[in-house]
Amino acid sequence: MLQCTINGKELEVKPGTTIIEAMKLIAHEDIAHYCWHPGLPVAGVCRLCVVEIEGNPRLQIACNTQITDGMKITNQSEKVKEAVKWGLDFHLINHPLDCPICDQAGECELQNQYMKFGKYDSEMAEPKVKKHKVVDLGPRVVLDSERCILCSRCVRFTDEVTKTHELGIFNRGDRSEIGTFNGRPLDNKYSLNTVDICPVGALTSKDFRFRQRVWFLKEHQTICTGCSTGCNVKVSYNKEGLFRVKPVYNEQVNGYWMCDEGRDVYKYVNKPARLLDAWMTTAGRGEWLHPLTAAKKVGEFLRAPENKGKSVALVLTGQHTLEEYEALISFFKNEVGTDRIFHWVNNPESMNDFDGLLIRGDKNPNTKGLLETLERHGIKTEWKELIDGLSTGAIRTVVVAGPENQAVYPDFKAKVLELSKAQKLVWLTACKNEELERLQGDVTLIPLKTYIEKDGTFVNYAGLRQTVKKGLTVVANAMSLVEVAEAFKGVDVRPEEAPFKVGVGRVNNEATLQRGSL
Amino acid sequence: MFKLSEEGLNYVKSEMARYEQKQSAIIRALYRAQDENGGWVSPEVIQHLSEVMDIPASHIEEVATFYTMFNKQPVGKYHIQVCCTLSCAMAGGRELTDLMMKEAGCSKLGETSPDGLFTFSKVECLGSCGTAPMLQINREPYIENLDEQKAIQLIRDLRAKAGK
Ligand code: SF4
Ligand code: SF4
Ligand code: FES
Ligand code: FES
Repeated sequence: MLQCTINGKELEVKPGTTIIEAMKLIAHEDIAHYCWHPGLPVAGVCRLCVVEIEGNPRLQIACNTQITDGMKITNQSEKVKEAVKWGLDFHLINHPLDCPICDQAGECELQNQYMKFGKYDSEMAEPKVKKHKVVDLGPRVVLDSERCILCSRCVRFTDEVTKTHELGIFNRGDRSEIGTFNGRPLDNKYSLNTVDICPVGALTSKDFRFRQRVWFLKEHQTICTGCSTGCNVKVSYNKEGLFRVKPVYNEQVNGYWMCDEGRDVYKYVNKPARLLDAWMTTAGRGEWLHPLTAAKKVGEFLRAPENKGKSVALVLTGQHTLEEYEALISFFKNEVGTDRIFHWVNNPESMNDFDGLLIRGDKNPNTKGLLETLERHGIKTEWKELIDGLSTGAIRTVVVAGPENQAVYPDFKAKVLELSKAQKLVWLTACKNEELERLQGDVTLIPLKTYIEKDGTFVNYAGLRQTVKKGLTVVANAMSLVEVAEAFKGVDVRPEEAPFKVGVGRVNNEATLQRGSL
Repeated sequence: MFKLSEEGLNYVKSEMARYEQKQSAIIRALYRAQDENGGWVSPEVIQHLSEVMDIPASHIEEVATFYTMFNKQPVGKYHIQVCCTLSCAMAGGRELTDLMMKEAGCSKLGETSPDGLFTFSKVECLGSCGTAPMLQINREPYIENLDEQKAIQLIRDLRAKAGK
């Protein structure tokens, strides 16, 4: 171990530690920097991370200097502040300063550092160098070359993390620009990470561009439900719903990154995709009901002596939490008296695929948790038994806890068709679906909460248990499977609400949309 | 589609073996390919080198665009690079460029004359300030201590040499 002093703090670090690592990750000191990123190799090009080392007449860059024993380091001297100030001034020579229309504004490192180290008076008489704006880099990313400070983080990302090498810095001096060879698209499954690590507004996400000012957004940390990797993420939301997903560092699971597909997962949480109330057909007539009323009616039916028993089947997907599986399976085993509980596998062929970085073929956050729970309850079934049971009439009632993320269930339509052979079909689902709406006969649809709206545990591919906490409520009446199980028992559960409700601040949302038909 | 000649390919391979990192051979390879491609580096050239050297095309493009010795546009048979940095500029490099361009029939820097023979560029100091003004044609030895007469004669000689 090496001894060193950083801004007066005594520190012990491992040999090989750089000054910036010690400052940021160990001493938690503030240090200006653009090009250094803990998940990427060192470039040392922005020259903003300068520090003063005792006995060294020149300032050194913290990101590319390793600590030696007894080193005394500071970045609080006037000399350092002056250097950062001038460094920033150089970064801004050709910067367009279009903050008012820049998506990064509010979370931009140029703005942040300038508030601390600004020189405030420009001394530039020369016109700014003009570069390409609104460059369509690829299916998900847009580049504004004038805003780029050439930190090379994005280039190092495509070189070192995805190893797809799309990006490069072309030309030289103040004409240097980020780009791709011969206009090839930046098209890899992780491209949006470049937008996250870009310290300025040069790279922006096509999905998020111009949709919200970041200071109108709150953040909630959760787990991505896009696949069985279970990347740690945070969602940005406000009263209008969710707007984007970004990765949160977790060494064990996803490091600093997440995939592009996972960024789309938030879309099904928002109101337009959701089932808002329960739909129940009785004696050929359908009606909208409060979900609790509908669930209690279904519960009464399931518990009735003439209906209970092995003629009832439960279908589960790997999309819900451990707690929910436990509650629902216990109810069906103990109170309905059936062990006909089936696992709906969405893509059996690609279930074990892995791209070597993060993306797994199992597009469910909790397949492992479901299998565990089924095993603990001694349940072993084959999908074929369900189909046979339906055609022989041995199975008459089917309750499905349908997938939240229908986009990753290519067999959704086929399964709806198969299961609609049941005399009574109860479909618990967070999102609406045309196939379900089209169903005839004795059908009940009950709206579920999504992963953002409830507490629970997911078990990822490696068996790691990760918890999600409820952050906001998008559909006020929706229930979790735990609540559904209670309601099935006849309990008057009041769906617990998350601290934040989407839509409450804007009375005009649903009502205004419906006014035409009222 | 551009392809290096057999000989060119061997040259690039041997250059790659010469250095610790094959990236170091990019400049050599680009020079060779530029020569074989009529004086400029087209996207096809970069694509081909990327395959031959097994280096991402974006990395080769970075080098090709960084150095001005690699032409990203087609050039004439004679690419005339006139030094216009301080010493040469003071000794009339810029005026000589205009003069020669007029003689050669080029209206703009970087544009090739209608007969396909001449393209002019103004370049930074070529390290021969003592013999200013000076220029370089393609990758040939320098032509130094220019004056108006010498410059015009130079264009005429080149034209005669090309048989036009
Ligand atoms: S686009 Fe962003 S990440 Fe890439 S070099 Fe420019 S500033 Fe850095
Ligand atoms: S790799 Fe999987 S868990 Fe991670 S962000 Fe992508 S979809 Fe989500
Ligand atoms: S962070 Fe050290 S030079 Fe950029
Ligand atoms: S200034 Fe022309 S060779 Fe140096």
